[in-house]
Amino acid sequence: MRRAERALCLAVAGLLGATVLSSGPLPASAKDIVLKMAVPDWPPTRIMQDLANERYKAKSGNNVKLEADFIPWPVYYERLAASLTSGEKKYQMAVSDSQWLGAFVEGGYYMQIDRFIKDDPEWQAIFEDLHPNVVWAYSTYPYKSDKHYGFPQMPDVLVTYYRKDVFCDPGEQQAFQAKYGKKLPCTGEEMDDADWDMIKNIGEFFKRAKGEKLAGKTLDDDFYGISYQAGKDYDFAIMQVNGFIWQHGANIWDETRIPNGQAEGVVNSPEAVKAFEHYLSLLQYMPPVVKTGTMDIFKTDELFREGKVALNVNWIGFAESSINPQTSKVADKVAFGLAPGLRGPDGKIVRWQNIGGQPFVLTTWNSEEVTKESLDFCKWWLSKETQTEFARRGGQSALKSVYSQPEYVTFRPWNRTWAASLDWQKDVWHVPDFYELLVQSQEQYVKAITGQQDAKTTMDNIAAFQQDLLTQAGLIK
Amino acid sequence: MSVAAPPLRHRPPGFLRPSPANWRLALLLAAVLIPGSILLLPQHVAFWVSLAAAALVALTLVVNAWGRYTGGLLVAPALALLFLMNIFPLMWSFGLSFFSYRANRMAPPIFVGLQNYEWVLNDPTVWERLQTTALMAVLSVTLQMVIGFLLALLFEKQFPGRRFLMILVLTPMMLSFVAVGAFFRYYYEPTFGLLSQFVRMFTGEPFVLLQTPTGALAGVVFADAWMWSPFVMLLVLAGLVSVPKYLYEAAEIDRATWWRRFRTITFPYIKGLLLLALLFRTIEAFKLFDVVFLITNGGPGTSTETIAVYVYRLAFQYFRTSQSAALAYILLFIVIVLTNLYLYFVNRRAQEA
Repeated sequence: MRRAERALCLAVAGLLGATVLSSGPLPASAKDIVLKMAVPDWPPTRIMQDLANERYKAKSGNNVKLEADFIPWPVYYERLAASLTSGEKKYQMAVSDSQWLGAFVEGGYYMQIDRFIKDDPEWQAIFEDLHPNVVWAYSTYPYKSDKHYGFPQMPDVLVTYYRKDVFCDPGEQQAFQAKYGKKLPCTGEEMDDADWDMIKNIGEFFKRAKGEKLAGKTLDDDFYGISYQAGKDYDFAIMQVNGFIWQHGANIWDETRIPNGQAEGVVNSPEAVKAFEHYLSLLQYMPPVVKTGTMDIFKTDELFREGKVALNVNWIGFAESSINPQTSKVADKVAFGLAPGLRGPDGKIVRWQNIGGQPFVLTTWNSEEVTKESLDFCKWWLSKETQTEFARRGGQSALKSVYSQPEYVTFRPWNRTWAASLDWQKDVWHVPDFYELLVQSQEQYVKAITGQQDAKTTMDNIAAFQQDLLTQAGLIK
Repeated sequence: MSVAAPPLRHRPPGFLRPSPANWRLALLLAAVLIPGSILLLPQHVAFWVSLAAAALVALTLVVNAWGRYTGGLLVAPALALLFLMNIFPLMWSFGLSFFSYRANRMAPPIFVGLQNYEWVLNDPTVWERLQTTALMAVLSVTLQMVIGFLLALLFEKQFPGRRFLMILVLTPMMLSFVAVGAFFRYYYEPTFGLLSQFVRMFTGEPFVLLQTPTGALAGVVFADAWMWSPFVMLLVLAGLVSVPKYLYEAAEIDRATWWRRFRTITFPYIKGLLLLALLFRTIEAFKLFDVVFLITNGGPGTSTETIAVYVYRLAFQYFRTSQSAALAYILLFIVIVLTNLYLYFVNRRAQEA
């Protein structure tokens, strides 16, 4: 069916093209070049388009324009995949989740950029300046190999959102101290130091029924302590589960060890099972929707902005709307801390998390000239000035020279956590089979989340499935 | 001295004589040009050559038919569109189901015979999803038939506000699937949702319907039935109003019971339409996707994941293109069998009557 659609699209496009071309090429010294880019429709890409309109002048003297095709998030993967695989060759660049890299590199759609970086000192400097965890996650396929594909568009990490008004309330502070013998976090620094044990206490402490008091006011609805993602769709559970797995010293199937890395015995190791049990143990303090297995990142965000939970762990991507009074009931009350971690025997918190956000890539079908213009555009995008302005308007930058500027933390209240978080980021698989791995893991996790099976069974099922699938795919020998 | 050529229109079209109406020659030309260009020329040139050859054949056919087969010419655009948009892709995907091919890999398709069908039929997930789908279809269609039938009996009577109420009842059917899905998702939501708030007035606890597989199944079935019962109602109502009044009057004189009147007068009149409703709704229920995807996303776990959702995952998430094509054809086969089964019963009953 796809082939037929492609043929039809080609026919229509060809007819249109023929009409346009027959009017004759325009003689021009400075060429008009349009870089069409597939992007999800949300603030970070809107800011990119604005910046390009306002500031971008191609060094070549050509008239280069960025034309972002804004596609709604929920259909973004399907639309991009359909465009790439149909062969319509519509886009010169595209935003891509990092786990899609393998699938679309193997399809021949994403361009390897190493040959451009290797001999260009400017590119070398940019890649030196990018945080290595971000480069690994956003650029490399196989993960952590020396083959590079992408550039950061909107790097993102998990952070803790919490309500200052309830956490800093003297009455609540006193009650918490009396009950648990430790101080309820109030400032950002105190919240940075909150480990999962503290999160458990917070969850238990702030679970209140309608009619009870919260920070001196009577509640007109139930209130819950904590929330994090536990939904079946896409990667809306695994992104949090992976953090627990790495923090407990276990591992997911390790793509960097192809073909020797096994799934059996690794994915379902006793530590991994313990980690997943830990993840499950905190769900009881969350809003009841968690029991349906549909509490995804949008739901936790909505619950937090509606003022139904005291603390939420979510991507920075949602933060802008949580401080906007038009979209958030807690806009003037929200504060941010580092995402929680597991305290080790030395008292230090281990904070491994799955990185979020997206890179963007170049496609393979463009002329040398367009590729060169695209690369110049990327260079401009990753320049210190552009990235600083991007951050000033609400984006994040993975360039050390940008985020280590003292003013960086003043742009947004959550930027305080940025530099420290980057050191603790890892990524999920980049192999072409990621979607099958992802869907099966999500199904299994949600079975456990909704109480249909225990952690051990879950991890055993996932390990068996992955061992089988990856062996068939030749990735485990 | 030359022999005057007979007028063009009376001359039998010579097979090789070039003329705008010589479609046989155009066809021959296309039969040589298309494979030749595909074999010899670069892909994008071959495409245009083939397209031009096909256009030439179409043009000569039109010229040939002009003034002679007006009816055929009038239907031709519709047929051409149907072929291009429906039948050709259908055949193409059928062909694809015999190859090993993934739309997101560079590797060209390799012929594997029935291997994809074998893979699909041996996949335990397929059987699990088929069972879920069957269960959901049976429950949902039964509910729709019962509710639709009762609604039709209600609306057969004349009462004040009947028209207005009927429009209200018909509304769900006209809503988009996405709207219904989103609506029910919030309706079942345990924190804000109406259902949970209502149950809480009695129990004091938030009610989490979608927590258990049974609850989730009930939720999806209810949403589907809510949306499609009016459709059954419309069909049954059409049957009910077509029953001649004098039959009821005669039955009344004979003092026939309500049940007897229903069984011997009403039911035979609406039987055909009921079967039609059953057929339509079963086929649709078999393809159930949108509502499931939006309300439960197939959860909790996989307990409400229908076969349609699985086909979607195979095709667009796993990119197992040819296997998904094979599964889609197996589903098509099942639906065709179901349809024929119904038609068989309808015909047999029609003959009995």
